[in-house]
Amino acid sequence: MTDAKTDYAAADDVGEGERQALEALLFRLADDEYVVAERYIEWQIYAPSLESDLALANIAQDEFGHARLWYDLLQEFGRSEEEVLWERDSADFRHSTLVELPFEDGDWADVVVRSYLYDTAERLRLEALANSSYAPIRDRVGKVLSEERYHREHAGNWLERLARKGEHGDETSHRKLEAATERLLPHALSLFEAGPHEADIVEYGFRTRTLEDLREEWLDIVVSFMEGLDLAVPDPDEVERPEEIGRDGSHTDDWFDLYDDFTHTYRELDFEEPIKLRAQGPKEKGAAK
Amino acid sequence: MSMGFEDSGVGTESETKAPDGSEACAYTSYEEGEVDAEYPKTGEGAEGVAREVWDALYEVQDPEMPVSVVDLGLIYDVFVDEEARSVVVEMTLTYTGCPARDMIINDVRCAAETASGVDSAEVKLRYSPGWNVNMVTEQGRADLREFGLSV
Repeated sequence: MTDAKTDYAAADDVGEGERQALEALLFRLADDEYVVAERYIEWQIYAPSLESDLALANIAQDEFGHARLWYDLLQEFGRSEEEVLWERDSADFRHSTLVELPFEDGDWADVVVRSYLYDTAERLRLEALANSSYAPIRDRVGKVLSEERYHREHAGNWLERLARKGEHGDETSHRKLEAATERLLPHALSLFEAGPHEADIVEYGFRTRTLEDLREEWLDIVVSFMEGLDLAVPDPDEVERPEEIGRDGSHTDDWFDLYDDFTHTYRELDFEEPIKLRAQGPKEKGAAK
Repeated sequence: MSMGFEDSGVGTESETKAPDGSEACAYTSYEEGEVDAEYPKTGEGAEGVAREVWDALYEVQDPEMPVSVVDLGLIYDVFVDEEARSVVVEMTLTYTGCPARDMIINDVRCAAETASGVDSAEVKLRYSPGWNVNMVTEQGRADLREFGLSV
C-alpha cells in the first residue's frame, strides 16, 4: 500500500490543503481525458477504415468513462456535474494543450502520434497513482489501466505501420508522422508542466512520482521507440514551447472554440436538471419484472 | 457491444517499453484476469431482508444482455440497516465508459427497494477489484452462451 504517509480513505478525511491539492490533481486528469475524447470523436465517419473508425470511437468512449470517474471524485467534494464540467469557465480547465489542438484536416498521422504520446504519458501517470495515499483514486487506477493497454497497442501499431516504408508506409506517411511529431511534441511537453499545487500533490502522497521524473521516463520511451522507427524527433530541450501551457488555464484559441461547441447543447436546452430517461420511483412491491 | 472482454484485468502491470512486439492480429482473450476468492458475490447464505434484496437483484438484467447483474458478477456487497429500513448496494460496471450506468444504478436501486422492510436503497459504485469476465457465475456463463457469446 503506501509508505509512512497519512492515508486518506474518503473525501471527508481531508483538510483544506489536501482538498485543494486533490482537486488540482483530479482536474488535470479529468480534463485531459475529457478533451482528448472530444477531439477523437471528430474522426467519426472520417477515419481511414471502418475498423479504425470503430477503434477510435471505442477509445474515446473509454476516455470519457475515465473522465467521468475522475469528475465523480471531484463531485465528492460537494460540487455537481454541472459545476465541474458544463458550467465551469473555459479558462478554468487544466488539460494539456496537446489534447485541445484541432487535427490537421484529414491528417491521420496526427491522431496516431498524438494518441501515442498521450497514452504513453497516461500509463506512467496512472502507475504513479496506483499507490496514492487517497484511496478513492488508487481504487480506480487498476480498472482504468486495464482499459488503456489496447489504446497504446492501437497507436503503436499504426505508428509502426505508417513509419516503416514498404507494405503500408511510404515516404509520404513517414513524412507526415514526422511533421505531426514536430507540431505536437512542444504541446505534449505541457503534460508535465506543474500547477500551483504540485508540491503538495507529491508531499501528501497523492501521486508518488514527481512530474520531472515522469517526463524523463516518458521521453526515454517515446524518443527511443520513434527513433527506432527512423522517425526524427525534435530535441525536447531545444523546441520552441508555445506560450500556452494548459495547466495554468492558458489555452490556445482552438480550445475556446471547442468549449463553445461541446457546451452548446447544454446552454441551448437551458435545463435546470438532467432529464431522466426513466421513471425514478421504486417499482411496486412484488411487481413482475 | 463492449464489455471489456479484451481487458486483462491486471491493473498495474509495468511495461518497460512502448508497444513494440504487438501483433496487429492479436487474439481477444476471454480468460485472463485474476479474481479475488471472495468474488463473485452471489448472496449465498444471506437471510432475512438481505436475502430478499439479493433475490430482487437477481431479477435485474444487464441492459445489453439477458443476464442477471448478480450472475454477471457486478454486485459487490449488500448492507442492510434493518432499523433504518435502508440498504446500501455496492456494485461495479463491466467497463468505465458504460453508457447505461445511470440506468443500471436506477434498476438496482428500485429492485432493492422492493424488498419488504426496505424503504430506501442507495447504490455505490466501486471499481476495486476491477471487474473481469472471471467474475461471471456459472449461471451467468450459461446465459451468455445462450445469448451467443462464447465465454
